[in-house]
Amino acid sequence: MHSAIDVRPTGGRIWTELSILFRIQFAIVRDQWIIVLLMATIFPLSTLLSMKFMFGATTHQIMVNLIVGNIVFAVIMMGFNALGQEISWQKHQGYFTYYASLPIRKVNFVLTQMLRGLMTTMPSVIIMAAAGEYLFDVHLHYEWGLIPVFILAVLSMVGIGAGIGFWSPNHQTTSNLVQGLMMFIGFLSPVMMERDQLPLVLQWIGYVFPTTYAASALREMLTAGWTNEVSVNVLIMLLFVLASYWFIFKMIRWRASE
Amino acid sequence: MNLLEIDRVSKVYKRGKSPANMDISFSIREGEIIGLLGPNGAGKSTLVKQIVGLLAPSSGEVRYRGVNVLKQQRRVSSEISYYAQEPHALGVLTAGEALLYTGLLRGLPRREAEIQTRELLERFDMGDLINRPIKRMSGGQRRMIGMGTTLIGDAPVLVFDEPTNELDPLNRKLVWDLIVERNRRGATIMLVTHNVLEAERVVDRVAFVNHGQLLEIDSVAHLKQRVDGRLKLDLTAAYGEVERLIGRMEGWGDIQRTGEHRIRLYVNKERAGRLLDWMIHDNSLPIDEYAVYPPSLEDVYVYIDERKAGAAHA
Repeated sequence: MHSAIDVRPTGGRIWTELSILFRIQFAIVRDQWIIVLLMATIFPLSTLLSMKFMFGATTHQIMVNLIVGNIVFAVIMMGFNALGQEISWQKHQGYFTYYASLPIRKVNFVLTQMLRGLMTTMPSVIIMAAAGEYLFDVHLHYEWGLIPVFILAVLSMVGIGAGIGFWSPNHQTTSNLVQGLMMFIGFLSPVMMERDQLPLVLQWIGYVFPTTYAASALREMLTAGWTNEVSVNVLIMLLFVLASYWFIFKMIRWRASE
Repeated sequence: MNLLEIDRVSKVYKRGKSPANMDISFSIREGEIIGLLGPNGAGKSTLVKQIVGLLAPSSGEVRYRGVNVLKQQRRVSSEISYYAQEPHALGVLTAGEALLYTGLLRGLPRREAEIQTRELLERFDMGDLINRPIKRMSGGQRRMIGMGTTLIGDAPVLVFDEPTNELDPLNRKLVWDLIVERNRRGATIMLVTHNVLEAERVVDRVAFVNHGQLLEIDSVAHLKQRVDGRLKLDLTAAYGEVERLIGRMEGWGDIQRTGEHRIRLYVNKERAGRLLDWMIHDNSLPIDEYAVYPPSLEDVYVYIDERKAGAAHA
């Protein structure tokens, strides 16, 4: 006899959704693991080497800013570039028809997309930090608090990435949009440099991007540890996470598209 | 009891020149197999996506057990299992993973999901392909896995969009058998297809759709009564003589050109005897072959579509 199965959002049910959706996402990269690792390694290594050639002898603070800036840049790449492009690609390939016809929450779908991105970004971040220390003789500060700050930094960008991915009319638009946004945020907002190095108007624009607070918190954590400034940035990132969750929950439709 | 009510549903895409569907109303009863039939581009897939809550109507609403599907999407997606032709999203998984994961996401306990996965693959004669990635399978095998992802979990309502496309005759038969079996076990089934001949054998009721409109909905028996007084003749003309054959057949009934040398003639039963007698005895008729058939559901569809088109033209 056919009967409906109980899929109410209990803890066990949410865990099942997350773990299964993550396994589906993981399957996308498992066959190309070597290429993914290679690509994740080439980007930070070539960035660091070119920085060494260009700035051979420069101040300690500039090197820290550049290394941390590149780490945050890698997180941004994953946070909304890769996430936005991946969601958009899946949407335009018709994958949503499968996912949306199942009793699963879209926020879990987005989270597992993000987890996959995190998995492919981590090698890049670790190499950037380790090779940066070795090549530039910079000492970075590591502590357990770095883990929640890093996760918050990624989560705070999910709303932008998911929004772009779900709403874009076609994949080409998504690609242009995220690349333009990435360049603006990477080079014209306080990611690679301190806030006061930018013109006033760009400083103000920088306040609306979560990347500003992520870069600031990570820079502070990697140079001085958990300070009051980190706490303030963590609180602001938490607000961005809550806003992202609300945005995905209330504003993004995937079952009944217009 | 009506399980699903489609109430004056229309869909107009922002960039579309004409509506994808217009003012469609009908009901789906619990426990029946209903076929949504029509040619390619008729608006069937749009309608079915509106029914399962994947596409919002521009006006009107679809109710599942009395409540708008868009207001209970979680319930709808757990109780209505939708087959969307190919499991594109699962191409990177193995056949076993695709079915198992879908079963788990549908809420089955792991043990039950494993059992159903094995049973379905064995039923599809694909038990030895359990560890093969779907992307390395043939088109037909991929579609069978898509069918499996719809069947796993024993949802009370199953919606199939062109379930037999690209399948070989054995798998087509298997799919129809599975659909009938699930219906006997209590599932309500909606089929979307342009394969009228195959659907005819399993459906209880048929809804004909074309140009985004519902042309007719009724039981197969009632629909066939509409054309009960007609017979269908398929004629193959002698080489290069099809135009002359059409000319000779004018006045006997409705004529359709069905190929370079072929025509189809719908003729009233009471005139059919005289027509056949004339065809057999008049050696000047340029006919190579002919065959006579009783009316099928496909003929009903052609008849209704022509009448609607004629009415619109008038």
